[in-house]
Amino acid sequence: MKIKSLFLVLTICISIAVQAQKSEYNAQSISDSLKENANAVVRLNQIDILIASQRSMTIKTKRVITVLNEKGLRAIDAIEWYNKSTTVRSIEAIVYDGLGNEIKKIKRKDFKDQSAVSGSTLFSENRYVFLDYTPIVYPFTLIYESEVQTSTTAFIPEWKPLTDYFLSVEKSILNVNCPSNLGFKKKEANFSDFKIVKSTDTPTQLSYTATHILAQKREEYSPDFDVIFPVVTMGLEYFNLEGVDGNAKTWKEYGQWFSEKILSGTDDLSAETKTKIRTLVGNETDPIKKARIVYHYVQEKTRYIFIHVGIGGWKPMPASDVDRLGYGDCKALSNYTKALLEAVDVPAYYTELYGDEDKMDIKSDFVSIQGNHVILCVPNKDKYLFLECTSQDIPFGYQANFTDDRNVIVMKPDGGEIIRTKIYDDTDNTKSSKGSYTVAPDGTLSGTVTMVSEGTRYGRKYYLEKMQPTDQEKHYKEYWDNINNLKIDKLAFVNDKEAIRFTENVAISAVNYGTIANNKMMVPVNAFTQYTGSVKRIRNRKTPFEIARGSADSDEIKVVLPAGFSVEFLPANFESKTKFGSYTTEIIKKDDNNLIYKRTLFVKSGLYANKDYDEYRLFMEQVNRNDNAKIILTKN
Amino acid sequence: MFFKTIRLVFFVLLFFANATAQNQELGKVSMAELESKVHPNDTTAVAAILFNKAKTVFVYDIRNGFSVVHEFQIRIKIYKKEGLSWANFTVPYYVGYENDKKDVVEFSNGMTYNLENKTVVKTKLTNEGTFKQNVNKYWNEATIVLPNVKVGSVIEFKYTLKSANITKFPVFNVQYDIPVDYFEYNSKTPEFFIYKPILKGFVAVKNEMKLENGSQNYEDKFNATVNMYYKQINSMFTAENVPALIGENYVDNIKNYRSYINYELERTRFPEEPVKDYSITWEGVAKTIYKEDDFGKELNEHAYLEQDVRAILKDATTPEEKMDIIFKFVQNKMNWNNDYGFYTDKGVKKAYLDRTGNVAEINFILIAMLKLAGIKANPVLTCTVDRGIPTYPNRTIFNYVIAAVQIDDKQILLDATNKFTSPNILPLPVLNWTGRLIEQDGNSAEINLYPSLPSRKNYSLLLNIDANGKMAGKIRIQRKDYDALRFREENARMNKDNYLEKIENDWNGVDISDYSIENTATDFSKPVTETFTFSTEKHSDIINGKMYINPMLFFTTTVNPFVQEKRVMPIYFQYPKLEKFSINFEIPEGFAIESMPKGIKIVTPDSVASFSLDTLLVGNKIQIQVSMELNKAIVSADYYDALKDFFQKIIEKEKEQIVLKKR
Repeated sequence: MKIKSLFLVLTICISIAVQAQKSEYNAQSISDSLKENANAVVRLNQIDILIASQRSMTIKTKRVITVLNEKGLRAIDAIEWYNKSTTVRSIEAIVYDGLGNEIKKIKRKDFKDQSAVSGSTLFSENRYVFLDYTPIVYPFTLIYESEVQTSTTAFIPEWKPLTDYFLSVEKSILNVNCPSNLGFKKKEANFSDFKIVKSTDTPTQLSYTATHILAQKREEYSPDFDVIFPVVTMGLEYFNLEGVDGNAKTWKEYGQWFSEKILSGTDDLSAETKTKIRTLVGNETDPIKKARIVYHYVQEKTRYIFIHVGIGGWKPMPASDVDRLGYGDCKALSNYTKALLEAVDVPAYYTELYGDEDKMDIKSDFVSIQGNHVILCVPNKDKYLFLECTSQDIPFGYQANFTDDRNVIVMKPDGGEIIRTKIYDDTDNTKSSKGSYTVAPDGTLSGTVTMVSEGTRYGRKYYLEKMQPTDQEKHYKEYWDNINNLKIDKLAFVNDKEAIRFTENVAISAVNYGTIANNKMMVPVNAFTQYTGSVKRIRNRKTPFEIARGSADSDEIKVVLPAGFSVEFLPANFESKTKFGSYTTEIIKKDDNNLIYKRTLFVKSGLYANKDYDEYRLFMEQVNRNDNAKIILTKN
Repeated sequence: MFFKTIRLVFFVLLFFANATAQNQELGKVSMAELESKVHPNDTTAVAAILFNKAKTVFVYDIRNGFSVVHEFQIRIKIYKKEGLSWANFTVPYYVGYENDKKDVVEFSNGMTYNLENKTVVKTKLTNEGTFKQNVNKYWNEATIVLPNVKVGSVIEFKYTLKSANITKFPVFNVQYDIPVDYFEYNSKTPEFFIYKPILKGFVAVKNEMKLENGSQNYEDKFNATVNMYYKQINSMFTAENVPALIGENYVDNIKNYRSYINYELERTRFPEEPVKDYSITWEGVAKTIYKEDDFGKELNEHAYLEQDVRAILKDATTPEEKMDIIFKFVQNKMNWNNDYGFYTDKGVKKAYLDRTGNVAEINFILIAMLKLAGIKANPVLTCTVDRGIPTYPNRTIFNYVIAAVQIDDKQILLDATNKFTSPNILPLPVLNWTGRLIEQDGNSAEINLYPSLPSRKNYSLLLNIDANGKMAGKIRIQRKDYDALRFREENARMNKDNYLEKIENDWNGVDISDYSIENTATDFSKPVTETFTFSTEKHSDIINGKMYINPMLFFTTTVNPFVQEKRVMPIYFQYPKLEKFSINFEIPEGFAIESMPKGIKIVTPDSVASFSLDTLLVGNKIQIQVSMELNKAIVSADYYDALKDFFQKIIEKEKEQIVLKKR
């Protein structure tokens, strides 16, 4: 009897709970402001992180997403990674229609299981389980729950209440529990302008709740998502990395641990190899010159491949193996180069960083394992030189567009140190064009131009030399899309890796460059360096905008006009100076048929306020307009 | 009797030639190979396959019967740094069979040869450079990473693929992205199996066949050795100096032009067993496919649909009406799970209940419902564009199925997997040469999938220009058929603001306002229409008191899509198109016309493409009418020069400006 009534109570409770859930996640209950610009709404994203010990962390996720349309599907993000040290204890989902009626239950066996191998990763021990759900109706709500257990506590996932553009958030919760003796720490960023309540913040507990975050639009030239939206980075002073214990309060300690526990024993080389490299270096005494010889040796000998094994892919393959096999990933190749340099008494340090076109820093005020790439740091008197060891082509010490101008962590003999990599000054990123062209009486253009690229511009050009001839032709037809009927008559390159300077010598011709109508010919004066793009108009820009790398162009082109025509109109000289840079054009008339066209365009790097964007757009529009200025000739 | 059949096939394939027996064996790398610096026929080659020798043999065991072993021997020369990636080699292999044993791949004889100080240095591939992993429940991958490879190295290796799949062999590529100096494929097929070798591409491949004796030893169930003797066809394909396959713009799928050999099982003839027909003719293909449970049986299921069909067709009378209602019903109800195939997976009934399914499930439901409504409907097997083209009777090439409806003398193609298609409008990836309509009784017909009529796009603009050259106006854009489908698909994925910003950008900085759009989702047989107002200061120049206007404004063609000097592959436009522009300017106060472009008509040979521009001055109004038509979905490379020239002429014409002078 007693049991029976208890049962009854239980059933009632359950049905109430179900009812509550049903109405709670009804798609119609979402406020209009959260629907604006949103493809999906995060109703709840609760992450509970329980760190039981230095070698045990459990992450529970409960995510309730209402997907409003097809574009919002990626917000479901029902995916968990696993490997030897990480297991997915549970993973499941339930789907509800817009009214909150259950449509489908998805059990673990219905999730797909896939190896992480792809593209340049030839082998990987990592795998992932993910949900591949075909929606039958929009909107729908999906409740996703998972529990992941790992012994690697070196990486506590970052908390980002907002994870994407065009996504709004009703509620996002983070709870962390951690024993007091592990030195739990956190760093908050970009909290202003968002409703985030920190309810607990003790040495063993941390809780945040963020509510009502409106969907954001992506804007061109925005800084990184993580630089504008809230993020909490967390870490432990006493952590475990794929079975290896570690502790570090400072970067110095971090470097000591890394060198001792991860790197040590990986830099042995055979006596034979050492002799070989010493012979190669010969009597050279200058450490940088020696490094250059060793670097070229590595470039000729090795190739880059990525095989993900060992300590979660953190420990480099031994230098002796790279020496024997001739391949490796960024860790292995950097470590191998380091071992070779040490054999010829040139000190070199293993360096972790983020390799990316965006300038991503190692967060210097937050000691933890960071980065996605490894390079080598070679001291050069009171400065440093950095070597990218994965490329067979780039010049010694060249860093532009991938590892330049950012904080990196360098493993020096006495411990780690944060160092900033090479900065390419705006004025050093040059492209100078010198040449001449002639316009024939029928409008045909023929000309030659020499274009020299340096600094970051070198990195955008040197690969031209490696291209197949058909692709080179395609490149120039796109590069000079302002010249219809373009024919490349001659093409020659000089790749000066010593000076890091790339020179293109091109001879071109094009019929009907000058257009003739009614005894008049129109000739666009700037044939070789026309800026034909435009900066997108953005209504009510919200985010600041960034020009990550500046540049300086200069042109000096002789123009020979056709005989039998006289100049009716010459475009006026133009000058524009803004905070983003400057632009000038000048036409010098030598005689009736000979002109000199001069142009400079300087763009300054920087982080600019949102309200400056329109001014920048107008500046580039002026460039576009003036680059298209035309000479008008009249037939005599 | 048996011999006769083989004879027949034998004759079909007879291209006698004397393949010069090249002595290319693993382990015997020549000095010349090591010393060569560039490829003799192609100086741009980053690497070259010095030889690629494949062979297929059959093995027999009492438990599993016949299975095949494909063996590959490959030697590669690395000429440039960009060619180093050829030193990593991955073979995917199938492990997702329901009953058969999983495929097995084994690498061996991996070796790198380098020339150091004029001596040959060999480095062996060991276990540390060999990897195997499970990718997902269907596929595994075996990878080798050859050691010590640099520019100048010669590498070689061998691998075997053991497979229980005797109906389809792997594709043997004759042509790669790098040159192949020598190719060879040798198969020894016992008389019990008759295969159709399919040879594709532009490369000359020699073939020699002979009938010979073959034998197998196997252990019977009492562990005694048994000898089996039979006849076998020994077939040898060879090719020399195969050029690299180079991509071009406007190509449907480069795979269609690669040279390769593909074997497909036509029939089996075991002693004392009836002949089993697998393909050989389209009739055979149709019958075989219908016999499969996941096709014929699933296609004929209909009891579960009867009630729904009755309910939705309550008020319908004509067959066209019924077809429309059923199509829309299935299109709305069913959701495609992005899985391809012409066989069902979980079955039509479960798919119908779940409201999700693969291509076959959704279109079989459609066909079954149409049949219930008394409409003649049949499946059409097709290949998506990224899959290739079915050129010979065979079944394994297909990866998709749609429905063909016959009403009176009209044939209508339907595909209900896509949310934006309508009768006779198929998803773009399905528009690929021809499909094969198959009926239960074995009748079949080739169906042209490309539409015969062009998809239309109409632009009409009405604009005012002020004395400073500033333009403001109204625009209406109508899209029909495939242009409408494409637009609707993109529109569903794109945010409106982003879309407008994109147009503003593409049109070189116009300002757009009052945007409205009609019929994105209501009636797919009608055009989708956008209207908006725009203004711009960038599409006119005032020079020396004269105003210069590009008559085509932001629609001016400035870039020729065809830049390369030569062309081998057919030119692919997806579907025929007809674009019309009607642009009306009002001349500003105080200005008069000085000159404007004269009308023109440009037509390519055989009217593959045509263009016309007409200008008209009425009072103070200028009217520009432009029409541009591409008449075919795909045309042969013979038209390349004509098309290139066609676009060149358009660009030149559209450059001519309207010149206004002060009155």
